[in-house]
Amino acid sequence: MRQRRWGIVALYTGLTALSVVWLVPVATAAMISIRPLDEIRDGPWNLSGATFTLDNYVRAWQQGVSGFALNSFIITLGSVALTVVVGALAAYAFVHLKFRFQGVAFFLLMTTMIVPIQLIIIPLLPWFRTLGLDNGNWQFVGVVLVHTGFGAGWAVFMMGSFFAAVPREILESGRIDGAGEWAQFRHLVLPLALPGIISFAIIDFVFVWNDLLVALTLLDRSTQPLQVGLANLQSPHLSQQDLVSAGAIMAILPPVLLFASLNRYYVRGLFAGGVKG
Amino acid sequence: MRTVNGRKWRRRPSSAAATLRPSRLLLPLAFVGPLLVVFGAFYLWPAVNTILGSFFRWGLLRPWSLFSPAEWDFVGISNYIDTLTSPRFWNSALNTAVWLVVFPLAVTVGALFIAVMIWQAPTGQRAFRTIFMLPMTISLVAAGVIWTFIYDPDFGVLSDLVRNLGIDFAIDWGPLEFKTAEWLSNPGTVDLGFAQIPLINISLIVAGFWAFTGFGVITLTAGLTAVPEELVDAARVDGARNSQVIRHVLVPALRRPLTIVATVSVIFALRTFDVVWVITQGGPVQDSEVLAVTVWKQAFVFLDSPQAGTATALAVIMSAALVVVAFPYLKGLLRREDA
Repeated sequence: MRQRRWGIVALYTGLTALSVVWLVPVATAAMISIRPLDEIRDGPWNLSGATFTLDNYVRAWQQGVSGFALNSFIITLGSVALTVVVGALAAYAFVHLKFRFQGVAFFLLMTTMIVPIQLIIIPLLPWFRTLGLDNGNWQFVGVVLVHTGFGAGWAVFMMGSFFAAVPREILESGRIDGAGEWAQFRHLVLPLALPGIISFAIIDFVFVWNDLLVALTLLDRSTQPLQVGLANLQSPHLSQQDLVSAGAIMAILPPVLLFASLNRYYVRGLFAGGVKG
Repeated sequence: MRTVNGRKWRRRPSSAAATLRPSRLLLPLAFVGPLLVVFGAFYLWPAVNTILGSFFRWGLLRPWSLFSPAEWDFVGISNYIDTLTSPRFWNSALNTAVWLVVFPLAVTVGALFIAVMIWQAPTGQRAFRTIFMLPMTISLVAAGVIWTFIYDPDFGVLSDLVRNLGIDFAIDWGPLEFKTAEWLSNPGTVDLGFAQIPLINISLIVAGFWAFTGFGVITLTAGLTAVPEELVDAARVDGARNSQVIRHVLVPALRRPLTIVATVSVIFALRTFDVVWVITQGGPVQDSEVLAVTVWKQAFVFLDSPQAGTATALAVIMSAALVVVAFPYLKGLLRREDA
């Protein structure tokens, strides 16, 4: 008994120490972001005579973050909306219908989870030019389509696994009542699998919001999202940790808030990818 | 094709009812069509172009196109030969190999360690899990930026810690050279005889590890909740120590989630771009350049020279390697369709 108690103490000490180590990087960034640059030089955690200010955020926001953030929201919300709509429809077909080349199509969709995006990124640039998606706001359309194409595998896989969990008896009784495929999808599967769809939407939001490579390659300055702006701001040769840290905190805020408020759905989505896979 | 779901319950209604529907062929198309159009135009088509284009010489100023054969400059497999014989490729391949060995190992072992600790905690499991999952939601760009604050030679937390605790040291043991400084320029090397591995790669892997281990923790936690408690209790009653319980009871029960974590971290390691790009851009010189960065630089940094062909060849090699390595995982994903 006594030994067990010491074991528990050791366990919590270990977990707490590890948690602190895990939180230090973000906490440091947050600390740097609320202090003037010249104070950081003596170490961000040296708090003697520290002044706290939101000035870094104001300047970062004015020097481009506002535009980048808007672009991020346009790209992310657009991609998530399109991926969820076309993905849910397709996932229903893959799980509950039968069609030609279904196996091949499913295989090709699953490859998106494995291959690097470098496999498609190089010809996409001339392809965008051909389709006229390479300038102005058309770039948003283009990048949304790329995210939808590359996210299609996850969409079908994840939403499909939630759709498959809808009890077959329910669908069967629907069919007996004369419901067509559309009615079954719309009135039976969608409402029952809604939590799963939300889980996927959150994960897709985090994924698209955090993308660097697609946006860096395909978009110009007027449509670039936060991650690209942040990557360009960060340079070993420039001392602007004040702006960079504030930008980083703002860039991580939307997904972290989403994660914090809808933790349940997020974990469920990851579980679905993990347990059954 | 293989949807047991569909088959099972379609068999029951009479075949007459089935043939009565003329929409049988068009209907699935209406559901799956929109996705396949986008997927075809913005994934399959570019992928096909990459694969075909890798047999031609071209640059992005005059891109290769399937439909203008007059401008083709067919070079056979020489893009592949050029790639496989260039020192730059082997330098990046070595750095990628370091990622491939160290990263999945660190993530799998680290996540197992953390997940088991959390699982043993009587209370507060959710709070701890949330802390380790937090970095997963953070972009790798932001993670990279954040870790420069840790590694910075002047004010970085790690440098500060080393200095204040007086634990700065430098060692030179045979093949290993290491010093507790210059984390992002030159913290040392390991000499393998045939090649020198710059330890800066480890600095970057640590940042990736921090960002990604939460995935392992959550996946293994899902597996641990499925382990029957009686099994663990029985082992304890038989006098098994903690390490023995982990080794002989938990690890076998966790085989599936452990495989998933290992495979997904291998995929992550081979795809690595963001962290390296943001922290070092592959530098100093090419000490931390990985294959994903090389592809991108070859295709997009030197726009005037016709290097896109070699870049696509490298992209094809990377993708092929990933498909081979992740094939069991891919098969697992495909099996899911039947379940």
